[in-house]
Amino acid sequence: MMSHRLRQLFVLATLALPFASLAADYSVKQPGSTLGFSDTFQGARFDGHFAKWNAAISYDPAHLSSSKFDVTVDLASAKTGDSDRDGALPGPDFFDTAKYPQAHFVTTGFHQAGGKVIADGRLTLRGVTRPVSLTVDFKPDGSGATLDVSGTLKRLDFGVGGGQYADTSVIGADVKITAHLVLAAK
Amino acid sequence: MTFRNDHHQWGAVAKFFHWIIALGILGNGIWGLLMTGMSPSMAKINVYALHKSIGLTVLALVLLRMAWRLGDRAPRDEPMPHWQRWAAHATHVLLYVLIVAIPLSGWWFNSLHGFPLQWFKLFNLPALAAKNEHMAHVAHAVHEYLFWLLVLVLVAHVGAAIKHHVFDRDNVLRRMLPFGRPLPSSSDQGDRS
Repeated sequence: MMSHRLRQLFVLATLALPFASLAADYSVKQPGSTLGFSDTFQGARFDGHFAKWNAAISYDPAHLSSSKFDVTVDLASAKTGDSDRDGALPGPDFFDTAKYPQAHFVTTGFHQAGGKVIADGRLTLRGVTRPVSLTVDFKPDGSGATLDVSGTLKRLDFGVGGGQYADTSVIGADVKITAHLVLAAK
Repeated sequence: MTFRNDHHQWGAVAKFFHWIIALGILGNGIWGLLMTGMSPSMAKINVYALHKSIGLTVLALVLLRMAWRLGDRAPRDEPMPHWQRWAAHATHVLLYVLIVAIPLSGWWFNSLHGFPLQWFKLFNLPALAAKNEHMAHVAHAVHEYLFWLLVLVLVAHVGAAIKHHVFDRDNVLRRMLPFGRPLPSSSDQGDRS
């Protein structure tokens, strides 16, 4: 005989199951998908990207509550087109990849704001976990889709370039994140 | 002392340009030689930024100075042998050329390396060339060798000024010193037209 509480759980689970499968699962097509970032150094903008990352995308604009992004980034794969900077980025002053090889972003929910979809989530970077919100632009394309995501985070919130490099008049405080994902239906 | 030059000495503007540029070259030369040995750090970034800002300032000042020099009549040459007069003028022309060329070569080097160029964190200047790591090495060599050439020319320039002041006891240095008073010169006698 099932206890009352277990029965409640069972009912909840059976109700929730169909909803969990409402958002479609996609695989990310490489090449064509990019994960980039940009900041300023001495008043000039520079652009970088991560060569290695993985994203599990489950999304449906009509079923945001069951949508989910789960992204893992290999921080040592950051490239900005400058050998000095690329040499410094994995070091202990910046990403400290020896201690924290990966960054992880996972959504906690989605909401609408001003006609746009915002993905709220938690970013773990350099051992620090903080809420980060990203703007989502999802365009269905045949059986697949393109997904553009952008947002801004403060590098010092995560201790990236803290210490001697904390001067934001030299290295900008705000890092812009842009991702362009080409999605194929699973 | 007036702003403009007169027959006997340099005016306040010419003296200001001369000494402020001399100070900039001295400081930036010493910075420049010491900073390349620094290990990568925020301090190094800031020292380089200062070197670039001072270099750009010297470039702007020397261009203004040349414009002023063209518009203002130089004092009469002190009495000296013809070859010395010729050597002095040739040295001055070479100094102007180098003081323009050295900051420009630094700007060129900075551009080839792909670094931003900012003037005292206030505004950015455009790159003179597209990024090219190989050419950057060439530009760095040009920047450094031009500096050593400048040092050689300055030895002649400063040496001549001291020689005129100490041995010839003429007005060559006095008329450029910030608060210098030129001695009554024998060349003035009966030469007031």
